[in-house]
Amino acid sequence: MPKLIIDNREVTVPEGTNVLEAAQALDIVIPHFCYHEALGAVGSCRLCAMNFLEGPVEGLQMACMIKAEDGMVVSTVDEEAVELRSHVIEWAMTNHPHDCPVCDEGGECQLQDMTVAGGHSRRRFHGPKQTYINQELGPFIQQEKNRCITCYRCIRTYRDYCGGTDFGTFGSRNRICFGRFQDGRLESPFSGNLVDACPTGVFTNKVFRFKSRVWDLQEAPSICPHCSLGCSTIPGGRYRELQRVKPGINRETNGFFICDRGRFGYDHVNHPERPRQARLDGQQATVDAALTAAAQRVRQMVEQHGPDSVAFVGSARTSLEAGALLAEWAKRTGSPHLLFETHRERDRAARILVDRLGDRACSLAELQQSDLLLLIGTDLIAEGPMAALAVRQAVRAGAQVVVIDPRPIDLPCSCTHLPVGPERLPVFLDTLVTRKTEALTDAERNPLQALLEQLDAAKTPALLGGADLLGSRGISRLLDAAVALDNNERPVRVVGLLGGANSYGGALLTRSPRDFDTLVDDIQEGAIKALVCLESDPYRECFDPARAQAALGRLELLVSFDCTPNLAAQRADIFLPSRPVAEMAGSFINNEGRLQAFEQVIEPGISIRETSSGDHPPREFSLETPGALPRPAWQMLAQVLDLPGDLPAIRQQIATADERFDALTSLTADETGPRITDPVVLPDTAPDELPQCVPGETLPLLPVQGFAGSDWLAHLSAPLQPLEGEPTIWLHCDLAVRLGLAEQDQARLTTPLGHCHVTVRTSARMADNLVLVPHLWGTALEGLVPGGRHIDCRLEKEVNL
Amino acid sequence: MGLWRDIKGTLQPFWVTLGYLFKKPATIQYPEEKRTPPPRYRARIVLTRDPDGNERCVACHLCSAACPVDCISMQAAETEDGRRYAAWFRINFTRCIFCGFCAEACPTMAIQMTPDYEICDRDPLNLLHEKQDLLIDGCGKDEEYNFYRHSGIGVVNPRGGNADETPPVDPKALVP
Amino acid sequence: MSDLLLSLALILVKLGLIFGVILGMAAYLVLAERKILGRMQLRHGPNRLGPFGLIQPMADVIKLITKEDFMPDQADKWLFLFAPGLTALTALLSFVVVPFAPPLTIFGRELPMVVCDLNIGLLYFLGISSLGVYGVVIGGWASNSKYSLLGAMRSIGQLLSYELAMGLALIPVVLSAKSFSLTDVVMSQADWPNLLKHPVAFLIFLVSIAAESKRTPFDMPEAENEIVGGFHTEYSGMRFGLFFVGEYINLVIIGSMLTVLFLGGWHGPLLPPIVWFAIKVLFVAFCFIWARGTMPRLRYDQLLHLGWKVLIPLALLNLLVTAAVLLAIG
Repeated sequence: MPKLIIDNREVTVPEGTNVLEAAQALDIVIPHFCYHEALGAVGSCRLCAMNFLEGPVEGLQMACMIKAEDGMVVSTVDEEAVELRSHVIEWAMTNHPHDCPVCDEGGECQLQDMTVAGGHSRRRFHGPKQTYINQELGPFIQQEKNRCITCYRCIRTYRDYCGGTDFGTFGSRNRICFGRFQDGRLESPFSGNLVDACPTGVFTNKVFRFKSRVWDLQEAPSICPHCSLGCSTIPGGRYRELQRVKPGINRETNGFFICDRGRFGYDHVNHPERPRQARLDGQQATVDAALTAAAQRVRQMVEQHGPDSVAFVGSARTSLEAGALLAEWAKRTGSPHLLFETHRERDRAARILVDRLGDRACSLAELQQSDLLLLIGTDLIAEGPMAALAVRQAVRAGAQVVVIDPRPIDLPCSCTHLPVGPERLPVFLDTLVTRKTEALTDAERNPLQALLEQLDAAKTPALLGGADLLGSRGISRLLDAAVALDNNERPVRVVGLLGGANSYGGALLTRSPRDFDTLVDDIQEGAIKALVCLESDPYRECFDPARAQAALGRLELLVSFDCTPNLAAQRADIFLPSRPVAEMAGSFINNEGRLQAFEQVIEPGISIRETSSGDHPPREFSLETPGALPRPAWQMLAQVLDLPGDLPAIRQQIATADERFDALTSLTADETGPRITDPVVLPDTAPDELPQCVPGETLPLLPVQGFAGSDWLAHLSAPLQPLEGEPTIWLHCDLAVRLGLAEQDQARLTTPLGHCHVTVRTSARMADNLVLVPHLWGTALEGLVPGGRHIDCRLEKEVNL
Repeated sequence: MGLWRDIKGTLQPFWVTLGYLFKKPATIQYPEEKRTPPPRYRARIVLTRDPDGNERCVACHLCSAACPVDCISMQAAETEDGRRYAAWFRINFTRCIFCGFCAEACPTMAIQMTPDYEICDRDPLNLLHEKQDLLIDGCGKDEEYNFYRHSGIGVVNPRGGNADETPPVDPKALVP
Repeated sequence: MSDLLLSLALILVKLGLIFGVILGMAAYLVLAERKILGRMQLRHGPNRLGPFGLIQPMADVIKLITKEDFMPDQADKWLFLFAPGLTALTALLSFVVVPFAPPLTIFGRELPMVVCDLNIGLLYFLGISSLGVYGVVIGGWASNSKYSLLGAMRSIGQLLSYELAMGLALIPVVLSAKSFSLTDVVMSQADWPNLLKHPVAFLIFLVSIAAESKRTPFDMPEAENEIVGGFHTEYSGMRFGLFFVGEYINLVIIGSMLTVLFLGGWHGPLLPPIVWFAIKVLFVAFCFIWARGTMPRLRYDQLLHLGWKVLIPLALLNLLVTAAVLLAIG
């Protein structure tokens, strides 16, 4: 712990801290561009100059390049240092176009701040400014090269940190610029981070372009609802419209960045078809009337047909508070049917993971410290993009990555990939437990032997598995393998990628040993007559939608709380409009058991953009905000249960009733969050059979998650639409040849759900004898929900007439 | 002498006020007589155009940020050629206190104060001035400034075509 | 019988006339005050309603009547309602004893040009004018407001300080008129007005009566810029109007009393007596308005100092000297 003196103030900092960070610890503002906590320091911008008066280093030095040491005496206000800084910033400004009024960075522009801090206010250089031609970088990033001050932070973010390859430095001497070789979309799923990394307006958010000034935004710390990692975000809204999301800082989870799905998936909040009106038997009703009717009818149902006739189904995007109140409602009715996932395999996998994870839980920060990562049955880019970024940081620090997965996985780092069929994954896991390689083929044996040796040698190994592909059995084996691989010196960490933002919390609250599929049987038989859906859609999110649709038709009462235009919301007898994450406060538990709170960002309402239809806002006075009826699900449930409707009281109530959630009472949105682990009620049903990749008349079909189109909320977000593309299937090159198909061919896919037209993509890096279908909402493929049992399909080439 | 001074000090003002009684009042009888305010008087706010006749406002929000009473609101938008402009621009004159901070903040000389001080109305909605109410056909107090001719992002002229810019760099050039 | 009816009718006519004239004068004095003050401050004063703003008083009355009649929470309700009436009433009652012209002979009867020629008119005036302060004190007390209470306290302090000086200043006048009847006082000034006979008494009376009626520079009870209107802070609408009217009736009374006691009443050359009376009253009123446009308000301790340490000793001395002189010349 070196102790040094900066500006006559003493500070003690951890070993390895640089002097710039030490100065920041004292709240001294030092101009800097190239230093970034996540990216490190390179000492290229020459802006953090300080005068080192005494100690091991002396003279004018770049503070970010000097490690803090004992006995250092540093002055940041030294005349020489101040003068150097002011000259550097003046040089940086010589070619800047001075177009701040039309630049979206204005308000959070580091260059503006640093120019003011550096004291440069009047241009002395009268030579001409350099100009550049901009590139078209796709739907997310707007480029304005003239503003560049060549700090290289974009390169260090995009290439070094995020592992993108289609972006680089061009030119030489004073012609340097940054971009793609050719125009085109930036392919990295983390491209949006360029916006935050760029200290000025070279890379700005194209979706947010000219929508608002950042100082006008209503912002609050929130949690990303698009996967189970629980990244911290700061959404910003204005005029009743959510307009952008920027990463929040949580050093345990996402660090400083977020993926493009989290950044551009916010728009479901503003979806034009979002249901905002309560409905009672097909008629518009007030929320209060609908709530009263829901409570009353559920009570009647219980009185007439017993508590078993009512089922309560939450979802993975239900906040913990709403989930706990739903559980309370179920408890009061006496109903044993309480689930938080309609997808059977995800439900079981989540519960098993939550039950057994314990201290093996591994945050993304800890993942970055691992030296060996085994990714089995998970495509991180689709199921938890920021975990892929954490894996990359581990690799940059020297870690090895082994991937065992049927998919052609694109990690932003180097890895050893074993493309095997999905049915082989449990076999591999078994082998990891038993170390007996008899069940393996010859081709599989050697890599696995090598892997076992690596695992034994590794100091901080981590196993990553996805709920979709591994299923409950696989997740269980994954945990077995972790136990088997433990040794005295270190535990093996496990990361399970779950179905949704609060899958973990839902699993903690689940009380029924059954899963939704067996409930569907009960509905079919008429034993369950009423279903309360909390932000869940059994019509579509369920593993077997067709069967569910048929059964749900027999329901006498369907109550739905939701904020998206889904089928359950449309067909509900009683519909109650709830609010998405950005419009309410609440909390989620992420896939490692971390309880995190989020705050309300905006009030609900139809945006001024819509009410004014592009022109100025309506010229009328009104006390009512259009479309402001939705309420937080927990508030409505509290009303049903006659509990106080404010969040602190509800949290207090939940914590009192269930001591696992003690931390809720003091939780704030800006803390990293405590971990919650606890045994849960395990499912009693047998896992599904995995697809068998064997040659035959029909082909096994494996629906998987995609980066953009398979998350329901992300699908409802207009900015992400360009990423969804058309329905696609992936085939192994050899299989494609055998089927007479080639890359980009149009084919006709026949499944038990019907026919659909797909584009063929081929890859040599995937399992043979398998048709991979990235799930895509809103297309013919939306019925093919990822995860689950064996489906056969046929594939025929379509001939263009 | 103190008493004499007191008596004088008490009575003399009576003489003064009596004199004022017969002077001409300084009041300007407003609706009948109107004073001409100085040119820099701060009253009605207008949006001016640049010398080429285009709207000067680039919807940068600096006026609304500077406004102490939050009476300015707008929405920025973009034209085909990359010009940022205000899709709508509203000044709520029921709130405006005519402090002139907006005009001072405006980086493009778009928003300016004029001496026209007669803005009263009985209906508040009539005091909600939209862009078409604010926009004038002229440059206002600055006859020459055109923001896009100075900021190098190429709207009025092609990129690199403004007076103080060099033509675009070819980053792939090999010549040192 | 018809005699009685006739005299009753005449009294009623007189009453009606005086009532109308006094209220009219009070209303237009308000306008005059605003116009004169305005001109003294290089303004126009009210000039929007009618020529020279002549309809302004009517507009003021309409405004006052139609305004919300507000009563503070926790106010003493009955006293609050009663106070403004008391002020206006006592002001009106004072005028009963003021003779504004020599007695007139009509229908063969001698009709005194005074509502009621009491032989103790002067004492009556002193009594009634002291009662006037009750309106102020009650109003200030009942409002349940600190400013009003302060106003009321100042008002009562002021009254106590100047009542005595005023009474003492009048005794020389009574001595020379040898009567308490105001008509007799006027008669006694047929040769010289009391102003010349008793200049010191005049000065003391002038100051005291200004203080008594809360005119500038003695308007401490309502000092707008310190105690926000003092006793009438909480009053609105016509209740405030009554206070206001009372004040301006008082101005007429002051004018009348000064005229009757010191300026020779209706006596004057050429013009009819009633016109002389009116001219003198209006002149006094103008002087008070003039003073308001000229003089700053006194500090409260200065006010008490002037009352107790200057005016009362002076009045006593004046009384002694006058009495001695009168005794000497028989």
